Formats: sequence, structure tokens, C-alpha cells
Amino acid sequence: MKIKLTSIMVDDQEKALRFYTGVFGFVKKHEIPAGEYKWLTVVSPGRDDLELSLEPNANPAAKAFQEAMFRQAIPLAAFEVDDIEAEARRLKAAGVAFTTEPTRMGPVTIAVCSDTCGNLIQLYQPT
Amino acid sequence: MRANAAFTRLCRASDLLRATDDRPLSIRDAAAAAGMSPFHFIRRFRAMFGETPHQFRIRARLERAKNLLASSDRSVTDVCMEVGFTSLGSFSDQFARRVGMAPSVYRRLARAGGPERDGCAAPGCLTLMGIAFATFEKREPPVAGRLRRS
Repeated sequence: MKIKLTSIMVDDQEKALRFYTGVFGFVKKHEIPAGEYKWLTVVSPGRDDLELSLEPNANPAAKAFQEAMFRQAIPLAAFEVDDIEAEARRLKAAGVAFTTEPTRMGPVTIAVCSDTCGNLIQLYQPT
Repeated sequence: MRANAAFTRLCRASDLLRATDDRPLSIRDAAAAAGMSPFHFIRRFRAMFGETPHQFRIRARLERAKNLLASSDRSVTDVCMEVGFTSLGSFSDQFARRVGMAPSVYRRLARAGGPERDGCAAPGCLTLMGIAFATFEKREPPVAGRLRRS
């Protein structure tokens, strides 16, 4: 058994694809129509051993969970970065909203930003 | 995780914009509820939610309309009024623009798609993988491993 795929719910798949590729810098892997929605995944640049599915949050139960977690300022995914200060500067310049500035927490520095699709995302840099 | 005050106020404003009571909230009112000037509010709201407050409100209303169309027998006009639109023409126009079909067509397709799942017309999220790949294999000549191991 291997971990090859994980997912995050998004309120609009087109908007999510623009943000996750154009702002976060991931690379589109799959975009296959499936009725009203798509099977849509992105991977890290230069390596595609783990896919992130950008799933529609059309299910009311999923939407309620996502909104509740957002309102409590709880991130639903975490992405590792090499230089969190530089990444935060780059994302802010692109208009990204942060709820937590880069903060040292023991052996890791974290920051939290909005993905504009209904989620907060934790960025972390192991130190 | 502790949220900062501006984040909390933006979330409160988004809740107000989602509400569909008889007195639609103006963007100015939502900005006041967030404790910001309208200009500042629109800019910060867009950075947090990826769309303007006006766009956010329309999308929220249309999402609710989709669920009602798929899971109830209420007329399109009733659904239109229920979710906060005051004009059937405006509702139909926005619905067609954002969903890609008329409300009545959406209802027919949603119901033809299978049994209702707790009032939700959407498939479970990861089940999209199977639906998408099955559709893809029907359209394209099969090449072993092309999708699964790409």
C-alpha cells in the first residue's frame, strides 16, 4: 500500500486550478471531465509521485465540514516549502491573504494562508 | 488555531452574504459588519475568498438553487425566490452562465443521474476518479497503464 493521492475540497474547480497552478505553482496532472465536474489533480513541479485532487465541494456534508473548519481557522492541507519567509513574500505579492504570519514553532516554522477556494493552507519549513 | 480579528470579521460577512432572508444585505452593509470601508472590504474579501462579495453571494445562491432543484419538487420560480433572487430572468441568466444549462435542464439531468444521495446531486468526491477514467477509456483507445501509471 502506498500514499499516492490525497485531496482537498474546493468551491470552484476552475478557480482552484488557476490558483493552485498560477499562484501556488503546482503543475496540472489530470483534467478529465466527469459529468458536471472533473477529475482534476495537480502535482509538485519536477516530481509527480503524489497527486493532489481538487475535488468539488458540491456535497452539502462536505461543504458544511469545509466551512466549519475554515471558520475555526483550521488548515485542511499543509505544503512544505524551502524558505517560508520568501514564499510568504512571494504569495503576498500575488495577493494571497494570510491568517498566520510565518511563526517559529519548535522545529518548524509555519504560516497559514487562504487558497481562495474555501480552505486555509498551512505552509511549513522544517528547521 | 487562533484566528485574527479581521479574518473573523470577514467570515461573519461571508455568512451574512450567504443568508437568503427577505432583506438582501447590501455590500456596504456587509462591509460595515466587517468593520471595513467598502473598498477595503472588497479587496480583502477577494483575497480571502477568491471572488468579490457580489460574486460570492451569487454563487452561494446558485449552489443552494442546485440542491433545491435536484432534491425538491418546487417550481423553478419558487426556487428562484427561495434562494434570494427577485427576478426569474436574472436567476435563469446567472444559472445558465455559471452552471452551463437552464435550471429546468439541470433538474432533469440531476434526477436522471441516479437516486438522490441525501439531497445531494453530486457524486462522492473521490468517486469522480472512476467516473472520469471510465468515460475517458470509452472515448480513447486503451493504452495499458496510460492513466494509472502516468
